[in-house]
Amino acid sequence: MPNNKLSGKITKSFSQILGYCFIIIVICMSLYPLIWVLMSSFKTTYQIIDAPLSLPKSISLYGYKLAFEISPFLLFYRNSILVTLFGVLGNIIILALSAYVLARFKFRGRNVIILILSVSLILPATALIQPIYMLVIKTGLYDTKTALCLVYIALGLPITLYILLGYYKTIPKAIEESAMLEGASFPQIFFKIIVPISSPGYATAAVLQFILCWQEFLFAFILTTGNRSRTLPIALQYFLSQFNTNYTALFAAIIMFVIPIIVFFIIFQKQIISGLTDGSVKE
Amino acid sequence: MKHDKAIIWIILFLLPTLLLFIAIYGLPLLTVIATAFTDWRLSKPLTFVGLDNFKRLLFQDDNARRAILNTVVWVLIQSTLHVALGTLLAFLAFRRKRIWNALSISYMIPNIISPVVRGMIFLFVFNPQYGLVNSFIRRFINPEFTQNWFFDPSTAFFTVTLGWFLFAAIVMLLIHAQMATISQSILESAMIDGASDFQIKIHIILPLIKPMIGTCIILSATSMLKEFEFIYVTTQGGPGNVTLSLPLYLYKTALLENNYGYANTIGVLLIVFGILIILGINRLFLVNKDAE
Repeated sequence: MPNNKLSGKITKSFSQILGYCFIIIVICMSLYPLIWVLMSSFKTTYQIIDAPLSLPKSISLYGYKLAFEISPFLLFYRNSILVTLFGVLGNIIILALSAYVLARFKFRGRNVIILILSVSLILPATALIQPIYMLVIKTGLYDTKTALCLVYIALGLPITLYILLGYYKTIPKAIEESAMLEGASFPQIFFKIIVPISSPGYATAAVLQFILCWQEFLFAFILTTGNRSRTLPIALQYFLSQFNTNYTALFAAIIMFVIPIIVFFIIFQKQIISGLTDGSVKE
Repeated sequence: MKHDKAIIWIILFLLPTLLLFIAIYGLPLLTVIATAFTDWRLSKPLTFVGLDNFKRLLFQDDNARRAILNTVVWVLIQSTLHVALGTLLAFLAFRRKRIWNALSISYMIPNIISPVVRGMIFLFVFNPQYGLVNSFIRRFINPEFTQNWFFDPSTAFFTVTLGWFLFAAIVMLLIHAQMATISQSILESAMIDGASDFQIKIHIILPLIKPMIGTCIILSATSMLKEFEFIYVTTQGGPGNVTLSLPLYLYKTALLENNYGYANTIGVLLIVFGILIILGINRLFLVNKDAE
């Protein structure tokens, strides 16, 4: 039935074209608003209102200059970098230790500990803001970067734990057993053998933890006040509410926040994607 | 490993994680549950009130009713339409390497920039005066168009919903990764048997990725129990309480009204919602059936 085959081909290619159109729409929807914000950041506020769709007449960096002038943008950058750095380091270090023990040793209470830690996986952290807020105030850590770091280390606990548990289980036990026969001690085995081979696992977890720390808003918002410890997401929100008519500066501020995360994503997309998918995909 | 010596190291290695867990999850969780049954405000000492907070939350409080309704609607939208969107895209780009690369990178970008920034960009895109959407409509359809998407009660809910409904890149990634594990020989033998492309997708691939669809529904649905940033940056729950979510209401109750007991009652409701979603979807999709 050549006719049937032909019409089948036509419907097939038609649905394929429809599929491509849909994909193109999704790509445009993803990128165009960002490109538009980028364009607008080079315009004057008047141009933004007057001709929102047109290209900027010339590339003006006035908005960027203004953003630095009306708010201590560099300080917010510094806060974000510090909180992210220690949030990531702390998270990876403490979970590299505990996940190793949980993945490798059978001791009494091990399953109970894994079960209890798993509670953090299903608990919406938003439900806990009041007691965490009180705890931070009572310990005198309100409006400090230390509080944010500690909270972020904990927020990333479930994801990092699962990535590292999974990674450690792929390391053959024979490596440790032979090291033990040669008389290596527990910390020697861990720091000299396990840590170096596990670095891809740490990298995957660190990348996801980076994204969490760099973008977290709710806790940064309730646990800080004033400029001292504010991170970029809070600064942006503050910026939006304070200078909401100064569009050029606002657009410039958005671009300055977004660029690092996009560059980061493009560099580490493999780790990000495998970190997001590895744990849940079952062969 | 000799156990007597190792046990000290085991404890040392576990200690930091356990202490942090107790401080940030354990004690707060117990506090939330215990104080949900009390009247506890900044100015007043704590008193036990039994189920009064729950009665108020579920039957007497208009804001709470709206927040619960909104959250339920959003959970339903995310667990159906949102997951369907991501799944459809994964199917469309499956085994088309170039298209997949272009799609996954560009679609991930708006997913990966923080919800705060996404909210701000949305505010501008939907700005009635100079926003992208209205500028387009004014230029090509109706020059007088001035819809205020975020702050008109008739469109606010729709516009806020777009802020997360459209961004299904994580679902797409997970479904695609699961599809990639399907062995080539299964698909080939189906093709030799004369199954059409569409039949293969519906009868072979779809059943194989069903548990992953369940996982995606859990992730998408429970993400609505954490939704705070996007709404806070855009409508702050307004106009009125049209876009109020439970986490935002919890925040307002705890930190603006300093009504801690009632705030923690909302927290208990969120936790219960989360557990119900996970148990319900697991049962429907048998997500853990092959977890030994």
